[in-house]
Amino acid sequence: MSAEAQASATPRAYRPEMARGWWLRQRHYFLYMVREFTAVPMALWLLWFLVEIQRASNGPKGYYPHSSPGFVVFSVIVLGFALYHSYTFLSLAGVIIHIKGVPSRLIVLSQFALWLVASVVIAAALIGFAR
Amino acid sequence: MAEKRITIRATRFDPEKDKAPRLQSYDIPFSDDSMVVLDALNHIKAHVDGSLSYRWSCRMGICGSCGMMVNGTPKLTCNAFLRDYWPRSITVEPLSNFPIVRDLVIDMESFMHKLKSIKPWIIRKQDYPLGAGEHRQTMEQIDEFRQFSECINCMLCYAACPVYGLNNEFLGPAATALARRYNLDSRDQGIKERLPVIANSEGIWECSFVGECSVVCPKGVDPAKAIQQTKLDTTMRFVLPYGNREE
Repeated sequence: MSAEAQASATPRAYRPEMARGWWLRQRHYFLYMVREFTAVPMALWLLWFLVEIQRASNGPKGYYPHSSPGFVVFSVIVLGFALYHSYTFLSLAGVIIHIKGVPSRLIVLSQFALWLVASVVIAAALIGFAR
Repeated sequence: MAEKRITIRATRFDPEKDKAPRLQSYDIPFSDDSMVVLDALNHIKAHVDGSLSYRWSCRMGICGSCGMMVNGTPKLTCNAFLRDYWPRSITVEPLSNFPIVRDLVIDMESFMHKLKSIKPWIIRKQDYPLGAGEHRQTMEQIDEFRQFSECINCMLCYAACPVYGLNNEFLGPAATALARRYNLDSRDQGIKERLPVIANSEGIWECSFVGECSVVCPKGVDPAKAIQQTKLDTTMRFVLPYGNREE
């Protein structure tokens, strides 16, 4: 049978397309999208942070950190996103990291413990420098 | 006492007549609490409408043939009990993310091609002569890959994966899980042959860890885990000195 005749003999298949709102269809997809979306405001905030570093590069004289109420509110929202993103990331560590003989639960707990220790150390360093 | 009944809404699509799939309702007796969705479809086919097309075979969750969307969730219809839905109606549709050939039957060609591409068999650089005996393994070595060998190729994970839905070129969950199954097998020496398929841009790196593949798997396989661990392994092979050594 020629290729043309074969193509006409093959029944047409229907190719469904994914609906744009597929991520609203169930909770799991929605939470996945929220997790992925948190990276966008975090990236924006980090860009702003780079601008602040550039502004501060001329020394403390004449530098005033941006502290408008709008920016503070934005920063608090981004902090929430960062915490959520970190929580999901570290929770998944137990799935990703595979160490023979070590239960995945212990891996996750150790990640959260490291996060806590790192946060305390960084907070202490920042507070120490500010004094 | 009135007979208990349930409404099944099944996708109908005749490629020679219909432009798009449509749903058709069937009101059937729900006579036995052990009835599953596949029993309902078999009842429709036997007593109501013999033209309804769907795949099935073993009726005991082993063959992986009867996967369909049941009220929007990918399920083996032989393992979806009517009692869990009744008195609500049940909508049965073909697995999402695949072309529909007829009614509830999907075209699985793309999946079969992906499955073959990862060479799901034991590859040896040099085969033992038969007289040398079997390849022996310890229980610990078997435990390394056992869960990934439970896959029955039912494709529910592909239907649950939005990444595959958006990009049909993605290697996908089951194929990657099976690749990992063989890569972790102490008898196998084929990782270098599989890496070009697994680690390319349509392979593991396309996955953004939605995780729904592992949720819907009827055999308790964790394809999301297989993909993420393969990401870590291939990165380590690339980064660590001698990571790409012959094994």
